[in-house]
Amino acid sequence: MTEAPIIRRNRPGTKQADFYGWPDELFEEMDSTLAVQQFIQQMVRRNPAAVDAILTAPEQQDEGVWKYEHLRQFCMELNGLAVKLQLGCQPDTCTQMTATEQWIFLCAAHKTPKECSAIDYTRHTLDGAACLLNSNKYFPSRVSIRESSVSKLGSVCRRVYRIFAHAYFHHRQLFDEFESETHLCRRFTTFVTKYGLMTKENLNVPILEDQAPAEESEA
Amino acid sequence: MDTNGNDNASGGGSSLGGGVDLAKSPGPGAGVELGRRGLPKLREIIIRNREDSECGPSDDIPELDFVYADADSLEREVSELYSFTELPEFALNQQHYSDAVSELGLDVRWPDMSEAQRTAVLLSLVDKVELARRDDRLRASRAILYISQGCWGDLHTPEEVQSWARRNALLLYKCGVLPVLIDILNLEIESGTAPVTAVRKLAVSVADSSDLRVLLSVLYLMVEQMRHVRDSDPPEEVRLRDAFTQELGQPQDTGELLAVSLLGMVSRFCSGAAPHFPMKKVLLLTWKVLLLTLGGSDQLRRLRTAARAAAGLPDVPEDTVERTRTMRASSPPPAPVEQLVDAVFGPQRPRFTRSKVVNGDAMDAMNDSTDVAEEGGKSTETGSGQPGQPDRSPPRCDSPRPETPVHHGRALPWKPKVHRRDIEEYLTVSRKKFVGFRLEDDLESMAGLPQPILEGRYILDKHLYRSLAEVQVEREEEISASPFSRPEQEVPQTPAELLFAGMLPNLPQYMIALLKVLLAAAPTSKTKSDSINILADTLPEEMPVSVLHSMKLGIDVNRQKEVIAKAVSAVLLLLLKHLKLNHVYQFEFVSQHLVFANCIPLVLKFFNQDTVQYVTAKNSISALDFPRCVLGPQVDLTSETLQLGDEQPYCWRNVFTSINLLRILNKLCKWKHSRIMMLVVFKSAPILKRSLRVKHAMMQVYTLKLLKMQTKYLGRQWRKSNMRTVSAIYSKVRHRLVDDWAFGNDLKSPGFYAYCKEVDARPWDYEAEERALRSKVDHFIARRYSPESLEELEPVDVSLSSVLATPLELTPAFKANYRRWLEREVFQQSTDWDKLIEPGYMG
Repeated sequence: MTEAPIIRRNRPGTKQADFYGWPDELFEEMDSTLAVQQFIQQMVRRNPAAVDAILTAPEQQDEGVWKYEHLRQFCMELNGLAVKLQLGCQPDTCTQMTATEQWIFLCAAHKTPKECSAIDYTRHTLDGAACLLNSNKYFPSRVSIRESSVSKLGSVCRRVYRIFAHAYFHHRQLFDEFESETHLCRRFTTFVTKYGLMTKENLNVPILEDQAPAEESEA
Repeated sequence: MDTNGNDNASGGGSSLGGGVDLAKSPGPGAGVELGRRGLPKLREIIIRNREDSECGPSDDIPELDFVYADADSLEREVSELYSFTELPEFALNQQHYSDAVSELGLDVRWPDMSEAQRTAVLLSLVDKVELARRDDRLRASRAILYISQGCWGDLHTPEEVQSWARRNALLLYKCGVLPVLIDILNLEIESGTAPVTAVRKLAVSVADSSDLRVLLSVLYLMVEQMRHVRDSDPPEEVRLRDAFTQELGQPQDTGELLAVSLLGMVSRFCSGAAPHFPMKKVLLLTWKVLLLTLGGSDQLRRLRTAARAAAGLPDVPEDTVERTRTMRASSPPPAPVEQLVDAVFGPQRPRFTRSKVVNGDAMDAMNDSTDVAEEGGKSTETGSGQPGQPDRSPPRCDSPRPETPVHHGRALPWKPKVHRRDIEEYLTVSRKKFVGFRLEDDLESMAGLPQPILEGRYILDKHLYRSLAEVQVEREEEISASPFSRPEQEVPQTPAELLFAGMLPNLPQYMIALLKVLLAAAPTSKTKSDSINILADTLPEEMPVSVLHSMKLGIDVNRQKEVIAKAVSAVLLLLLKHLKLNHVYQFEFVSQHLVFANCIPLVLKFFNQDTVQYVTAKNSISALDFPRCVLGPQVDLTSETLQLGDEQPYCWRNVFTSINLLRILNKLCKWKHSRIMMLVVFKSAPILKRSLRVKHAMMQVYTLKLLKMQTKYLGRQWRKSNMRTVSAIYSKVRHRLVDDWAFGNDLKSPGFYAYCKEVDARPWDYEAEERALRSKVDHFIARRYSPESLEELEPVDVSLSSVLATPLELTPAFKANYRRWLEREVFQQSTDWDKLIEPGYMG
């Protein structure tokens, strides 16, 4: 039996139910320059709840690229949360970017950081992150990444994480909805902890099982 | 060295010791000199000495063992960052740090923490730096400052503090503190509540700038730690440092270089819009950022060698900084050359008669250096190298010429240089004399010229020096002459190039601002009500009441001024040196703006003081220097502890500043006739002569260079009464083989050297010289930095159909009134088109 070549592409007119309806491919066989992204997305589609599996890098994978590609993926998927937030988070009710009531954060996506409303912070930060991660200057290649650029990832993580925190503390219902579909916050938390991009003191959303007490101390 | 004979001078202690002393002095040179000069000379010397002694005793100044470097030691550079008024803030920073740590539930000393714990502390602090409330931010950044200072609270010795400060600086960078701090710095520059309060209050004090000072301090400490390279650094550190340097050298996310933002702060400060900006820290940081990104003198040397090699030129024969390090200072006022030579080679050396000594030594030395440079024995009879000189070549000379002494290769500190145009001039003159007609642009044919001329030619050729600037100028001419066939290749984005492009839009303002600050920091400047107040960040909120505290404040204020002067001078010098290497027209652009902003009189004003006193000033309280002020038992502040300066006989920063300023002046004036005339007009000679009293070879060399440039304009009288200075110039400054700098006709030579040819015709027209240079520089800037200026070189679209097909959006105002336009501009205008074809109209 001759096997028709598999075309991994969503043709125009594909029904939503049939999206990505192709068999998985082994990482070793992916030969495009975007293999890492392809691999991560494949793992996410297979089971978004299998956080550890998704975050396990293939052998001999460059760590910088791995972190970079994951962060890209987070930012892309976070747009889903941002869309949900646009329904519930209004600039006149959430005038400031807060997580717990204690801290108000500046929006760093501007020439000079300034105070934006929560939803603007979300949009600006995601835009800023997309700009940075796609910038030719810092990330000219997706195969190897300069060390000086890897250091940029930490601050992107920190800024992006605040979106989760805001959603969790102020729009719990939206957050839960989103989290049950994507497990994104859990994955993100595991990710930043695993690669030391943030410390557990900064991770104030009690999403991991062993993180539960953190909520009390923060509140 | 040669002051022995003068020590017996009484009272006034003038270095020459008066004519009688001179006669007694054991040096044979002095005796010979006196004998030849006769009585009128003696009287002159006595008069001169009286003048000299009026300036105070100078003989007791020991030779400074100052070694010029890019910066002082790390410890001192760090301690100069803080003013004494900031002392209470050290404890405050520590307090905020302990609060932050205990908030995290950590109860460990910083050195005992694990690397992960330290990272955790830092990351949580960095998170808080981005908070919206100013107080929260300030608390977090203060804690970070404490960490970058090395967490001295848990340590005991300055060495420990130093090593932790280094480790922490690396850790800070690893945790991504740099971009966050720069972001927040931009925020504080732009907004900040301080200006309102500062403008309202009449006196700005240290409290108005706390946010900025903390941020700038952290950045400064990081840069300063990264700047210091040690051989023992692990490769990890080297990698981090390289990444750090690269990041600082690249534009930030805002598209602006950090150095440019900082220069922007200086110019905003000078415009009066932000009187609370802590200038000292801004300038120190600017300097160190430039030093790190552009590179210090080692890097400059490497770049120069590489650039010269790329242009097909040999490396420069010697490095000024290196060479002056091994030179000895002349005693003030400079000793005659014989004594100097005696001191070096021993007094038994046979002497010429007075009239020939100066020239003879110089010539011998010249021969020697050529001997060293050349392998063949041919140059033994090269004495006839100078045109117009009587033939002195040894074999044919009747006068008993002694054996050429062995000079151990250090007879003349510099290899003499010859400009290509000197050779042209030399050939033209010789041909006119021996052949009788001119040969333009022909350096090769030597027909009809006698042997001595050929030999002279040979010597000149051997010393021919082509500077990188000439190559760049020629290349630039080539590009503008044939923009399409020989266009500019892609400009390499070196750090200097990036910096220049970044500075270009506001470059004049930056230069003016830097000079304004320098003026305010000059020790001779009087505080005027309208001048800028650079001391805002030393003044405490409450003025001191006790004598002791006002003494402390007085020292602090002077120290602040010195540090600012040091930073500004270093920034300017670095800029000039790097831009000159990058492209000479960038250098000319900056220097022209400096000259227009009155840099030359300003620097002269700076030296119009007792320079000796300035370089030995002691404006420091070592007990209050960081880290001593926070470590160990604190001494009570008494008038004795105030007196306890460091043990150095000179003030490093002031010597450094003086040398920098002299170098800047040299850079500005070299080969620029109009600017040399400014030196003359502003009566720089006596000022510069006074600063020769500082016994430091490098400083004297740069001063003598400045004097050499203008000697021929100072007149016979000046030369006569300053022969010692002239001799010092002979012995210390590089010779230009055919340059008649001291006695030359002042109308001929300058244009002869200037590399703008058209100025030659009217060398007395100084403005024309500047204008010609200006237009070249402007052309270069327009060509390289605003590509739209080249549009006129693009082919013009002459096809009627395509021109008419170009969509053109007319403005609504035009659309509404087009009838009137048509009436006025088309129908009523009568154009005599026939004129076009008349002969002569279009050439």
